[in-house]
This record gives sequence, structure tokens and C-alpha cells, in this order.
Amino acid sequence: MTALALAPTAMRRGAGYWLAGFRAMLRFDLASSRAWLATFVTVQVLMGAGMAIIYGFYLGDMPPAAATFLATGAPTLALMPLGMALLPSLIASRKIEGTYDFMWSLPVPRTATAASSFTIFTLLGLPGVAVSLAVAGWRYDLDLRVSAWVVPAVLLASLMSASVGFGIGHAVPDPAITNVITNLLIFVVLMFSPISFPIENFPGWLAAAHHVLPFWHMANVVRDALTDGLVDSVWRSYLVLGIWTVGTWLLAAWAIRRRR
Amino acid sequence: MTALAPPAELRRGLEYWWRSYRMMLRWEMTSLRLVLPVTIMVQILSGAGFVLALGIFFGQVPPRAALFVSTGVLVLTLVTIGLVLGPQLIAQQKAEQTYEFLWSLPVPRTTAALAWVTTNFILGLPGMAVALVVALLRYDLDLHVSPAIVPAVLLTLFTGTMIGYAMAHALGNPMLIAAITQLLIFMILGFSPINFPAEQLPDWLAALHRWLPLAPMADTVRAGLTVGVVEDVTRSYLVLGAWAAASVGVTAAVLGRRG
Repeated sequence: MTALALAPTAMRRGAGYWLAGFRAMLRFDLASSRAWLATFVTVQVLMGAGMAIIYGFYLGDMPPAAATFLATGAPTLALMPLGMALLPSLIASRKIEGTYDFMWSLPVPRTATAASSFTIFTLLGLPGVAVSLAVAGWRYDLDLRVSAWVVPAVLLASLMSASVGFGIGHAVPDPAITNVITNLLIFVVLMFSPISFPIENFPGWLAAAHHVLPFWHMANVVRDALTDGLVDSVWRSYLVLGIWTVGTWLLAAWAIRRRR
Repeated sequence: MTALAPPAELRRGLEYWWRSYRMMLRWEMTSLRLVLPVTIMVQILSGAGFVLALGIFFGQVPPRAALFVSTGVLVLTLVTIGLVLGPQLIAQQKAEQTYEFLWSLPVPRTTAALAWVTTNFILGLPGMAVALVVALLRYDLDLHVSPAIVPAVLLTLFTGTMIGYAMAHALGNPMLIAAITQLLIFMILGFSPINFPAEQLPDWLAALHRWLPLAPMADTVRAGLTVGVVEDVTRSYLVLGAWAAASVGVTAAVLGRRG
């Protein structure tokens, strides 16, 4: 851990120092991810591929259009629990175990710690996304037109999800409340979100709410990269996701900078 | 604690059993007081949630799908506590080492089991009622309630609770119990013909469910609420009865054993 062993006299600033801190935190996060990585991928595949199959059982015989819609929701369903549920629970469990304060006592810039979390959680989600899409596509026998837009779409959706989870985890002081929030989020996303179902099926007030919330927009950018003509004005969804990302960064910054 | 008899008194007979049952019921309800409100809220939310979410899944909900979900959620609220929460609570007792203490209480062990079944019934009722009311308000349902609903609900509740009970007592490792119950939720909600007709499952899974207890539970309850939807309900009663008897047998064998 050479990066952590800087002599106290060394100057603690500058891009070089930040990068060294970032690299050290990446290594730290990756090493600690060994404990939960298997669970993560399982949960992701269960949420993504599993839900795509389960929704199909509920719907029975579907026209191909509905099946396409359902299957292209699977990658979004696989992304969402990672950032929005597991990341905040991980932060909450650090608060319970008392290792939370230790994390912040490490001699690295706090932005480097945050950047490391975002990087890890954005990238770790990708295998589960690919598996979910493959299983759902196989189950519904789809031929998807994957465009290059899938890269920014999945990365932004994943980053946004990790940012929201990071913001919740750090801004909510009580770990018990964090867990209630994440459970509620999963419930709402699985039962009442226009990820696997067209937003036209929703009552007006709920559809209006989903224009502001990030879930529908996540599904939109991913679906737009996988299909032709199912999504209109996708730029608006990119914009909303961008706003959620930056907004939750500000929230996290406020929560992290606070001294107790 | 007047109910605790002095050691000289004879500990047998119907009256002693009944008194013990009432005490164990009070014990269960008291020890659940922290989990109770949350559990009932979750039951109500998920019951009503499924009924309402169906409208979002379909847009225009076919009457048959509405009928299946509305009757299926009753089964869900009846069995999830017994199959999922129950084993988790017992696993927790094993982890905290209060498990042995509970069995050292001077009551017949059948009273403890039946008190738990009764507790499940009390916990399940609000969710069941709310789900049914929401379903009736939301969908134009063709329900025909027959007296057969009473044995169907009782047998479903008893079997579900006893399967969870047998599993929790027979398995030693709390982590294993936790993993199994998590998997069970997924199975119950997504891969069992409770909320949707069995023909919407792949053939092999539908065939498997003819021998598992979940589909017969849904069939018997559904047969008590509808006309012409369920065929061959006698078979369902037989399969369910067999599962009930087997789980009672396993529980008796495990609890009868002296440690």
C-alpha cells in the first residue's frame, strides 16, 4: 500500500496525489468487494433475467412487441439494484459496524474515495447486465439491434444509479432508514415502474411522476440503444439522467463535507 | 404467572393443554410486538400492490388474469408468514441461543405449534381482507364465495405454516434457513401458478407443481371463491393433505427427539 504510506512531510495536493489516492481506493474497494461480489451478480441476474421471465408468466401469451419491451427492460432491472440498493446497504452496514469513520480517516481526498466507488459500481454492474439481456433475449427469441449507443447508455444509467445510491447511503444518517428506503425502492421499481411496461399503462399522476424520477429514463436510454423506433426523444432521458447524477453528487458532497 | 402450576400438580389433560395453548399464543404475540406492525404493513402493501400492479402490467387487464391475481394474493398473504417469516424467526432464535430456552417452557409442544399457526392466521387476516377489498374495487370480479372457502383457507394456512415450521426445526444452520426462505419468496411470487394460470408456465414446471404444495393451495382457495375455474379440486386437497401430514410428521420427529 505504497500510496497510503506517504511521509507526513510530502505535499498532500495536486493531480498526482489525487490519482495516487484514487488508485489506492480502487484497490481497497476491489479487495473488499471479494466478500460481496458473488451475491451482487446473483442478485443482478435474478432481478434482471428473473423478472423478465416472471413478468412473462404473469402476462401469458404476448405479441412480439410486448415481449421486446419486456426483454429490453431486463438490463435496466439488473442495473438498478446494484447502485440503488446494494451500495446504500453497504454504506449503511459500514455505519453499523463502525468502519464508516475509519474509511473517512484514510489519508486520501474524499473526492478520490467517491470516484473510486462510482467507478467500481459502474463497472461491476456490466456483467450482470449482459447476462440478463442474453437470457431475456433467448427466452423471448428476439433479434435485437444493438447500436454503439449501448455504451454511453449503460454507463450513464449505471453511474446515475450508483450516484443515487451513494447519495442516499451518505446523506441518510440512520442505517435502518437506509434499508427501509432501499426495500421500498425495489418494491416500487418492480411493481410500479415503466421499465418493463409502457408508460401509457400508468395512471396519469404516476406517469407524470415517472417523467421526473430516473427509472423510466434509465429504461429509455437502454431500450433506445437496443431497438429501433420504440423510444422518442431519447435526448431528454439522457438529460434527466445527467441531472440526477450531478444532483446526487452535490447531495453526497454536502453529506461528506459535514464534520461532526 | 398463576398459570405456572406448582410441580406437584398433574401436567396433563385437556384443561392443562388449553391453558398452555393460550399462554403460548400470548407469548408469540408479545414476542412479535416489534415486528408485528411492520409485517402487517408489508402484507397489506404487497397484497394490494400485486392487485394494482397487474393493471400496469397489462394496461387493459383480461378478466381471467384479474380473477387469478385477486384470488392468488389471498394465498400469498396466508402462506408467506408461515413459509418465510416463521423460519427466519426460528433461525434467529437459534442464532441468539434462545431456541433451547423456548423448548424448556413447561407446556406441551403441540401447543407451541398450534399457537404459531394461530398467530399466522391473525397476522394474515388484515392483508387478506385489504387485498380482497382492493381487488373488488379495482376489477369487476365474478366471485362466488362458497362454504368450501373455510376448509381451503384453514388447510392452506395450516400446511404452509407447518412446512415452514418443519423446515426451520429440521435444519440446523440459520444461514441455510435464511437462504432457503429468500429463494422461496422468489419461487412463490414468480414461479408458482398462484397469481396466474399454470398453463402460462413451461410444461415441466407446471407438471412439477402438481406435486408441490403451492399450486394445490391456490386451487383449493380459488375453488372456494369461483365457479368453473378450478378442475379436480379433490386431487388438490389430497396433495395438500399429504404435505400437511408429512410436515407434521417431520416436526414431531424433530421436536420429539431429546437433545
